[in-house]
Amino acid sequence: MSGSTPRLRSAAGRAAMDGSPVRGPLRYGDDPLLWASWLYYEEGLTQGEIAETMKVSRPTVNAYLAEARAQGIVNISIDGERLRSLSIAKQLQERFALAECVVIPGAGGERSLYDRLGVASAQALAWLIHSGDRIGITWGRTMLAMANAVRISGLKDLRVVQATGGTTAHIPYTPEACATRLADAIGARCIPISAPAIVSSPEIRALLRAEEVVAEQLGELAAINRIIFSVSSLRPSSTIHTSGFFDSTLQVREGYRTAIGSLAGRFIDAHGVPVPGPLEERTIGISLDELRKVPTRIAVAGGTEKIPALLAALRGDYVTVLITDSTTGEGLLRADGVEPTSGMGARRHPDAPPAVETRSRIKKFLNDPRDAVTESLEGALAAYPGFITPIDGNVRTIAASRPRVPGKVGLVIGGGAGHEPCFLGYVGRGLADACVVGNVFASPPPDRVLACTHAAQTGAGVLYIYGNYTGDVMNFDMAAEMAKAEGIGVRTILTTDDIASSPAEDHTSRRGTAGNFFVFKVAGAACDRMLDLDGCERITRKANAATFSMGLALEPCSLPETRRPSFRIGEDDMEVGVGIHGEPGASRERLVPADRAADRVCDRLIDEMGLKEGGRVALLVNSLGGTPMMELFILNRRIHQRLSARGVTVERSWVGHYCTSLDMVGASITMMALDDELLDLLDAPCEGFALRVGG
Amino acid sequence: MEQLDTPFLIRLFRAVALQLEEHREQLCALDGEIGDGDHGTSMANGFAAVARLGQRPETRALAPAAFLRQAASVFLGDVGATVGPLYASALLQAAKLYDTRPDLPVEELALLLQALTDGIAARGKADPGDKTMLDAWLPALSAAQQARGEGALAADQARAAAIAAEEGAQATITMIASRGRAARLNERSLGKLDPGAVSASLILSCFAELLASPAPGPGEA
Repeated sequence: MSGSTPRLRSAAGRAAMDGSPVRGPLRYGDDPLLWASWLYYEEGLTQGEIAETMKVSRPTVNAYLAEARAQGIVNISIDGERLRSLSIAKQLQERFALAECVVIPGAGGERSLYDRLGVASAQALAWLIHSGDRIGITWGRTMLAMANAVRISGLKDLRVVQATGGTTAHIPYTPEACATRLADAIGARCIPISAPAIVSSPEIRALLRAEEVVAEQLGELAAINRIIFSVSSLRPSSTIHTSGFFDSTLQVREGYRTAIGSLAGRFIDAHGVPVPGPLEERTIGISLDELRKVPTRIAVAGGTEKIPALLAALRGDYVTVLITDSTTGEGLLRADGVEPTSGMGARRHPDAPPAVETRSRIKKFLNDPRDAVTESLEGALAAYPGFITPIDGNVRTIAASRPRVPGKVGLVIGGGAGHEPCFLGYVGRGLADACVVGNVFASPPPDRVLACTHAAQTGAGVLYIYGNYTGDVMNFDMAAEMAKAEGIGVRTILTTDDIASSPAEDHTSRRGTAGNFFVFKVAGAACDRMLDLDGCERITRKANAATFSMGLALEPCSLPETRRPSFRIGEDDMEVGVGIHGEPGASRERLVPADRAADRVCDRLIDEMGLKEGGRVALLVNSLGGTPMMELFILNRRIHQRLSARGVTVERSWVGHYCTSLDMVGASITMMALDDELLDLLDAPCEGFALRVGG
Repeated sequence: MEQLDTPFLIRLFRAVALQLEEHREQLCALDGEIGDGDHGTSMANGFAAVARLGQRPETRALAPAAFLRQAASVFLGDVGATVGPLYASALLQAAKLYDTRPDLPVEELALLLQALTDGIAARGKADPGDKTMLDAWLPALSAAQQARGEGALAADQARAAAIAAEEGAQATITMIASRGRAARLNERSLGKLDPGAVSASLILSCFAELLASPAPGPGEA
């Protein structure tokens, strides 16, 4: 697993200049150490051959090489990621009494985790299976990837038995496909199960199992001595769902309330105890009791969403050999209450204090911190009476100062405080009609949303737009229910621009961040043009779907009530993929120069948006609160360079504090892909105190 | 037969408020690790508001359904955030139960727990294993229903529910959050208790405590 990688570092002239005892002939320059090292490590010559080439004695070469190590010209290092995998494997093996454990690096290369685990398990099979084995295999993406990667020949009398009946053919990784591929790849006989995995009733199952062919096949299944399986979570995208095991999620909830994962089409709870459920008597395939009696039980699974299920399988003793990746392995250990240790202490303990000295209490202009939100709103209202005014004297509910336009769709925005000038800066003509404010980073309650709804509505219905957060969704939904009960038509659009918060295939669960800026602007213009509720909703959804953001943080923020940093970060670190609530990002990376940081975000946004030559975007470079304009402009400069190099036109560009996270030092970059309609609405006049366009 | 009536609910909410106040800091700290750190504050403040409502003399005369509707409104208006709608929905669902069953004997505890759990589940749309308060409420409900099915007394139903809730809360350590703000942390949420499940188990422990001791005489509550 662990390879040695010698690295040469040029130190030309050093040996000579510091009067080092070893000197070589001049034809090697002043640095015989470097040459000897090069010939030894890079060219692969023996010390004897090097002695001959360099016309020195063999002991001299030996001394050169030793000195090169001592001077740091040659560094021998073992790939830390591999070493870490090794140490995690050891810990997992001990913790869960496994016969063997293989852990591949958690991140690496372009291939999917399924494929990488497939290759790793295919290699592991070479020492796990032997002539005469009867091998059961389940199904799924990992199993198929493994079967496709296996290259084993020379074994005799192997049988591969399908461990369950068949599933829907809508997936490529059916039990039949997995068993057949594996059998072909290792030269085994394949024994299928000629029945579906799930049948419509226990009676049909009994009939089918009594059929001679099926009975014989199940007999083969009962005789297997090894089984290879994966573990499925019960998440909507999991194999157990895509394989058509459940007709509806209702069935899972009702019959499998305590189930946490599934293996071989059966269900287990968090302790690994079988959860029979309504499908149990309708399932054809190996039972969990039978599975546990198979001497070698090889589980291949990775991905953090599988950790609870995999942990349950380990606890239930369904696994003797585990093949996983280091991220999942670490997660398993942590979930079981063990802090994973790293190979060489290279990785800092997550709770270890950072090397850099930080003040524990952040200075702020505050009175009683509990009054911070209210006092801040009072100050904003005092500054911009022409734009915003409190509804019924409540500063937490703010309406546009100008009178409502009859027949116009009302636009209500809002969320927690701490994002100023979001949301109240976007209240005004051509923008929102009202905005509702909660506590710092906490959703406002529904009664306030309802008050804003009343203020915004003039009979044409009301549009709610806010960021996609659990608390906001619940409070605004409750308000929408109340509004509907009063006969007010309400449509809700959640902003979901933050690409770091969920992968593209799950884009609807992304959170809303600075992309709010573009969505509010476009929606406000649509409402201002007196489009009906359907029209406003359509355009707003389109704007949201076209808007993509990603944030970087250099320092955490601090809440008024705690005045402590929301997380710790080292002086050479940055958080990548941060949101707007002071939380850590998707990953922590080394701090890089501004252009590289901008590139990091640009690359992701370009990929995500599929930006091509001829594309048109609107750009927002936004401070998260603590980063000054000067630095925002530096980022903006680089982003323009990148887009220009790609042939993408930046039609409109904004730089500044538009959607912040209190005093977090960092920036977010938002792009909205434009067509004529969106650009036209972006250019429509508007007047909020944080955004003015046109006359 | 002893009833799950308004005086019972008033005593319950007072006990819950005290219990949550005692654990305010702990819940905030748990939330700080995976969320935004306000859970203890929101829960303690919310139930304190409900407890204050219960102390008003006019409240005692209310039918349980009316009291629970007021409690839901008070809780929500005070809290907002994420737990506001969840517990307000629980209380409203319980109110609906009392609409059809104005008199609820203590032995029917499971029905009340069912209503509370349903309210939370319908509003939060979380699944079991999502590392939320439901991971305490659902096992508690199952345990109470099972005990009820076996003919257990109310005290034993409540104890079974409290134990199951405590176990359920502990089990959230092995789960990855997939709802709420903690969901963005992905595997960083492993090894941490879910604060919502912990506070739920505190609430269920109050049920167990109250039902274990005989009801106080009139005027004592």
